[in-house]
Amino acid sequence: MIAKSIALLLLVSLTGAGCRSTRVNTVEPSESAAQREVVEDRRIVKDRSLSKAVRVIGLNVAAGQEGFLKIQVEVENTSRSLKSFTCSVEWFDENGIFIDLPTANARPRSIEGGEILSITATAPTPRAKDFRIKFLEPVTK
Amino acid sequence: MVIAAAVLAGGCASPKTSYVEADSSRLITTVEGINIQDFAQAADAMTASLIDNFINPGLLKSGVPGEPALMAISRIVNSTGQQLDTDMLIKKIRVTLLRTGKVQTSTTVAFGGVEDPLVAELGGAPKRRPDYTLSGKIIEDRTRAGKVRQSSYIFQLALSSLDGIAVWEDERIIVKQGSRPSVGF
Repeated sequence: MIAKSIALLLLVSLTGAGCRSTRVNTVEPSESAAQREVVEDRRIVKDRSLSKAVRVIGLNVAAGQEGFLKIQVEVENTSRSLKSFTCSVEWFDENGIFIDLPTANARPRSIEGGEILSITATAPTPRAKDFRIKFLEPVTK
Repeated sequence: MVIAAAVLAGGCASPKTSYVEADSSRLITTVEGINIQDFAQAADAMTASLIDNFINPGLLKSGVPGEPALMAISRIVNSTGQQLDTDMLIKKIRVTLLRTGKVQTSTTVAFGGVEDPLVAELGGAPKRRPDYTLSGKIIEDRTRAGKVRQSSYIFQLALSSLDGIAVWEDERIIVKQGSRPSVGF
């Protein structure tokens, strides 16, 4: 009887302690008015659970009048719960050389279950012609 | 006995010191203060906004045709309860803007005095007036619910023309929640 009560208490506490799923409902026009320049991408997946929670839907690029590239990656959380991750963007010049910047950082982001998130980045210089986007699970000690 | 002692001693040893990449996800994060990664995030978002909304559409104008526009740093107010050097934010923005090839910063015309006194002394009066000034404010808001504390840091910047018009403005809010400092987030 006591064991049953403890098991029930544990179940109740687990359910209430962050295991609750949260899923996002969305609505958007059935036909998009925007003209997207979608680029083909190459994906390297080393963390399968992250790639499920942060699934890349697509990548599009636009260039402005002064030649700065703007990129957007759309990701979807296919799981049922909130997922935190970091996202960082590396830029490369026309020779494929990495462009080092003092503003380089791993942006912390979070995405609710079922949510679609648009992550944008702007090239720091018109010399930036290429890029790489990296996603990482939270690192805590 | 010896093994047990070694295990105990090993467990109590403080973690060794190591180098960490300044842009990695493994930096120490605190709720109480603005960490270096917060400044980098804010500077990154602000320069991206300035490029997207002002430079890339061709709105940036230089007083000297063919030359980059000249910017002077005006007052950057620290309205947080912390003592911090606003160059943690502004220097990153200046460096990134300089590397765009579109904007340079004056080191002799600035709010609060010249940045490089030797240039001011050797070069005499500035030959060129700035085209724009950059001003801003950093604000802090704190709240808590039980053991969970939340700190919000609001970074506000404005680029003004010499007519006194804010030609670009933006705000970036960084919100952190937690009960104790951590490595990572």
